[in-house]
Amino acid sequence: MMLGTVQSGFGYWNVYAWIIFFALAAALVFYFRSAGRSDYKAGTYQDEIFYGGNPVPKDGDEIAVPASSAYWGFTEALSPFYKLLLSLHTGIASDYVGYLVVTTALISALIVL
Amino acid sequence: MNWQIHLPALLIAVPLLGAFAAPAFANRRLRDVWFTVMIAATTVIAFLLWRRVGAEGIVVYVMGGENWHLTLPSGMRLPIRIIMEVDAFSAFMALSGSIVSFAGAIFSLRFLDRTTGGEKFVALYFLLTAGMLGMETTGDLFNFFVFLEIASVASYGLIAFWRNTPEAIEASFKYMLLSTIAALMVLIGVGILYGRYGALNMAAIAKSMQLGLPEKVALALFVAALAMKCGAVPLHMWVPDAYSQAPAGISCFLVSVSQASLYGLFRISFSVYGRALDTPAVAWIIIVFGILSMFIAVVMAVIQKEVKRLMAYHAVSQTGYMLLGVGVGLLALAHPQAMSEYGFTAMQGGIFHIINHAMYKGLLFLTAGSIFYASGTLDLNRLGGLARNMPYTTVMFVVSAAAIAGLPPVNGFVSKLLVYESSFAVHPILTVMALVTSILTLASFVKVFQSAFLGPARARFSEVREVPRSMLVGMTVLLVAILWLSFMPTWSLSRLVGPAAQALVDQAGYIEAVMGSGL
Repeated sequence: MMLGTVQSGFGYWNVYAWIIFFALAAALVFYFRSAGRSDYKAGTYQDEIFYGGNPVPKDGDEIAVPASSAYWGFTEALSPFYKLLLSLHTGIASDYVGYLVVTTALISALIVL
Repeated sequence: MNWQIHLPALLIAVPLLGAFAAPAFANRRLRDVWFTVMIAATTVIAFLLWRRVGAEGIVVYVMGGENWHLTLPSGMRLPIRIIMEVDAFSAFMALSGSIVSFAGAIFSLRFLDRTTGGEKFVALYFLLTAGMLGMETTGDLFNFFVFLEIASVASYGLIAFWRNTPEAIEASFKYMLLSTIAALMVLIGVGILYGRYGALNMAAIAKSMQLGLPEKVALALFVAALAMKCGAVPLHMWVPDAYSQAPAGISCFLVSVSQASLYGLFRISFSVYGRALDTPAVAWIIIVFGILSMFIAVVMAVIQKEVKRLMAYHAVSQTGYMLLGVGVGLLALAHPQAMSEYGFTAMQGGIFHIINHAMYKGLLFLTAGSIFYASGTLDLNRLGGLARNMPYTTVMFVVSAAAIAGLPPVNGFVSKLLVYESSFAVHPILTVMALVTSILTLASFVKVFQSAFLGPARARFSEVREVPRSMLVGMTVLLVAILWLSFMPTWSLSRLVGPAAQALVDQAGYIEAVMGSGL
């Protein structure tokens, strides 16, 4: 068995090949980074964040996108599905007991019949 | 006499001693030493037991005597006494669970400094450990129920440990309500089998098993109850509440405790019923539980705004991979060709995912605990820019998030790859659902990483610093385990996962270890 090679029965995968790949990619990244200019003047406008020509707000909150806005398009497209899912997650304990009872009945029917 | 023959008993006795002596340690320093030493001892015992099972095969241990057979006047021999039967699958589960238990305990040490009643926490933590390990090593159905209850009762207390928050009390109450019903269902199932076979030992029942109506009813009760306990959709509703309200070290450990119920589901399906199952219904029920858990939970996770709640939904989602993998294995159990072509690979994938998930999800919960410890909030809309202040926690989060998303070369990829490829042989839609789940998992953890760790610095977190060293040590334990499983996949499969999968398939061997002869 080759070191680090996982045989799945349908193919194989080698972890060390991936590590070598990542090491090469990291070396390239560091090379490109080192090729950048280092003669800029620190503390001047040259190393300031460009914020559409406006002054950068002091607190990050003012320029951060809140997490609740992430994947807005995805959740909006699936809103009917989400509506259904959220309606099932009521937070009411008796509902949860109901799901357990109904699921048990279904499983019993499938196994017994 | 070789003391190692008592390892199965010590595995339960040491955490029980830890639990009962813990209330005596009112002094914080002594309590911390006791907590650390006893939980470390439990982990070492689990490791030694795993090594012994690997070297010698199934270990059978009888409490209170050397001989466990009672010979009836008719000549029939029945196993009596409390019998522990530890095969490679049991040992694998105990090792995985005890490593997570150790990491969660070390992480919790500094957490406890911020609260009173730390000795009660330690006592309940050890009880939870004993319950989990007992479930995974017992060879007796009634003892399985007893250990299930020990673990459940300890969980109720630990989930509600922040007793000044109504949400924690509510989460614990919901879990208690559902767990009590599930435990009664398990007890009724055990009672039905005891009524039919006059035995409680799993191997003895398996040897006599003839699938009739009572056995089917008992099986349905076991499947439903244990699916609820391991958090399979649509019985997962307690999980987001419980995991998000428990202290972080407990959320981390609850992942492994839930897996003990998964263990029970697999043990009963394969070792007690096994080849007596004349219908693929049970396998398909487990597969459908897996698909629903993977997809529904990950879709719910994407929209969460609280870190631990999001991670809790992912805990449900990842359980789906284990159910899918082992469910495909159960489907192939009666067909040797199918088992060799794809069934065994699926089981290896599902079982490998158990330990992978225990490690990376445990670490994710600990990173969430670190975020809360340092910043005082888990609200993703308020968090941001923490990578500057918490570099070690950030690295831990990145590695564990990559692992749960199944990004190569991290360990989650290997187990998912095995599940993808083998479930494709049953039906391509199973693989498609698993792949879509993986993509959505990556999406939601990218959201957490971007929202909590990246972005501009927030003024309110300017004083935030990295968590204390003991918390980092707790996280490092799991990080090392993840890296080991990632970089040693062939060792993991051949030494850890393969023997566990083989033990689960080998019903005759499980029976023979106690009954003297197989099926």
